Amino acid sequence: MKRRDFIEKTGLLTGGLLLGSSWHAMAATAGPLKMAIIGCGDRGLGILSVLAEQKEQFTLTAVCDLLDFRLEAARKDPFASSAKVYKDYRQVLDDKNVQGVIIATSLDMHFSIAADALKAGKHVYLEKTMTYSIPEAIELVKLSASYPAQTLVVGHQYRYTPLYFKVKDMITKGYLGTVTQIDCRWDRNWNWRRPVPAGYTDEQINWRMYKRHSGGLPAELLSHQMDFINWAFDTHPDEIMGTGGIDYYKDGRETYDNVQAILRYNTKGMIGNFGATCGNAREGYIFKIKGTRGMVSLLPHEGVFYPEKDAKKELETVDGVTGATRIEWNKDGGIPLMTEKMKDGTWYAMQEFYNCVTQKKMPVSNVRTGATTAVCVHLANQAIYSHSIQTWKPEFNFI
Amino acid sequence: MNRLLPVFIFCILASSFSRREKEKIQINGSAQGTTYHITYYAKDCVVVKSQIDSLLSAIDQSLSLYNPHSLINQFNQSNEGLTVDDHFITVIKAAQYVFQKTNGLFDITIGPLTKAWGFGPVKPDSLPNKKAIQSLLPCVDSKLLKWEGKKLKKKKPCVQLDANGIAQGYSVDQIGLLLEQYGINDYLVELGGEIRVKGKKWPEQTKMSVGIEAPGEDFAPTALKKIVWLDKGALTTSGNYRRYRESGGKHLSHLINPKTGYPFDNELISVTVYAPDAITADAYDNALMGMGLRQALDFVEKQPGLGAYFIYRQKNGNIADSASRIFRSLLQP
Repeated sequence: MKRRDFIEKTGLLTGGLLLGSSWHAMAATAGPLKMAIIGCGDRGLGILSVLAEQKEQFTLTAVCDLLDFRLEAARKDPFASSAKVYKDYRQVLDDKNVQGVIIATSLDMHFSIAADALKAGKHVYLEKTMTYSIPEAIELVKLSASYPAQTLVVGHQYRYTPLYFKVKDMITKGYLGTVTQIDCRWDRNWNWRRPVPAGYTDEQINWRMYKRHSGGLPAELLSHQMDFINWAFDTHPDEIMGTGGIDYYKDGRETYDNVQAILRYNTKGMIGNFGATCGNAREGYIFKIKGTRGMVSLLPHEGVFYPEKDAKKELETVDGVTGATRIEWNKDGGIPLMTEKMKDGTWYAMQEFYNCVTQKKMPVSNVRTGATTAVCVHLANQAIYSHSIQTWKPEFNFI
Repeated sequence: MNRLLPVFIFCILASSFSRREKEKIQINGSAQGTTYHITYYAKDCVVVKSQIDSLLSAIDQSLSLYNPHSLINQFNQSNEGLTVDDHFITVIKAAQYVFQKTNGLFDITIGPLTKAWGFGPVKPDSLPNKKAIQSLLPCVDSKLLKWEGKKLKKKKPCVQLDANGIAQGYSVDQIGLLLEQYGINDYLVELGGEIRVKGKKWPEQTKMSVGIEAPGEDFAPTALKKIVWLDKGALTTSGNYRRYRESGGKHLSHLINPKTGYPFDNELISVTVYAPDAITADAYDNALMGMGLRQALDFVEKQPGLGAYFIYRQKNGNIADSASRIFRSLLQP
């Protein structure tokens, strides 16, 4: 039975039997969703600004953070002016006026807050990477299945943009031919640290530097690209090799400032190269998917298709070509994939969140795809930290 | 590999050197939100890129919805209309002629509808509902336009023009006429897939070949469906396989029926029109898309000098094509 059928067939019968205050979530279909943001750092505030653009879908009833200065910053946003302020996320979950929560905390807190939120009957938008560890990912998949009426979206927001849907479509339809190589980078030339205000510890602000809180560059950055490959090719890696180190910023950090992972996808015959450094910004973001018929080169909000020579050949044998809204070629031989400006990925992701809640749809980026990507990230980190080869296990097959 | 390439002369250098034989000269550029490619055969670079760009810029000033200060935008914002320039007059009069010939299926007053459906410069987040469309329909009718000398008047303030279905064809003609003013009689002008041809290729003295793009999904480079051979006339193509919006998993054509307010929805995927000039071809191609295959073929066969080539989807889902009598004659080199 498909999930939707299951919901439709069981919703009325089980509605009153679900644990805790599940009826809040069930009653979420009328009017804007009442949301709370748990974790008001840069990402949490970024999502807040997107919610403010979608007032027909969302109201903000609560904000929550452990750190006072972040709560103050959140409250300054007019959209949060009437939101309640909490320092303990459990109080948010007890708030009957909250239907859905956005979890944008440090990675180590993702699982416990998401699990408690589901148990409290809340819909969940959980930032990527889904969980800090593989056991947590497995546990959250199981737990989520017990709350079928509640939506859990994992915030790999880029895949919600029309651009990334289009690339998935291109791959499915074979425009790239057989893809054998994927090159991904997410580089910068700075220490990846935030300034620490007086009265706070480095660990509170720069939790990304600490292994007990964060999965480092693979979790915070490369997870987006790993997630897209899993989704677009309907696959997962079978082997992951990795290396890395604290190679430039020897400032007491624990997570690496220079990483490289090679993911081997056996069934698809592909190699994915995923790397990030804090020591060079020249190329910044690279995401190239290379096939026998062409290559797609992606930025977060732009994409160009470079057909291989054979595909172009025929077009060059005539003096002119007439066609409907004819293909535009870039000077470097590429075709831009999007002719219209897109919104930020988070905008589309929040629309999807709303639609999934109100229409009881399974999100495209859901707990199972989120778990698959979380496993990729953790295996990559294990490979990087131990300079070893990690292999996929049957228990990681969530899809 | 390089030795196989023909010699291209780009009009970058001064045109002081003279040759006995005609050379192939190419000018490429960007304008009107698309690109243009001009090939002409002459003994010298008698027309250069800056002349093309200033001509296209002048047309943009008159007819582009994407230029906030253009005459067309001023007209759309006005209550009663305004005095317009020669580009405007030529295009609107051609549009009015095709409006009559197609019984209103091509209508340059389609502006409010294309805007509502998100095919104008601003993209609304949602598609229009039935009520919104009904409220716009009374503003869409070329009979609401009236000429008083060079002044174009509107009978209702809500009348808004959208020349996107015809301005590119007009621009292609104007470039061709500019070349002819300089004595160039062998050329191919292409702007955004709309083409005007005159004369032959040199030194082989053969007709120019033009490929008709096979409909592909979206951006994908596709094979050529057919190649036609021309020594005069214009080819334009209208289709709904690239420019569309999606609703409920269905592609909505950017071609809106001025009578119903909704996108055309029939078996046609694209139509390529051959006409003596590009403004005529361009004005007819959208209307033919709206007629459906049978009616469009009948219509074309009755118009002197007009030819058309249709790509359509059969009931079983297969893609098929069909050409009018004049068009079939173009398929021979």
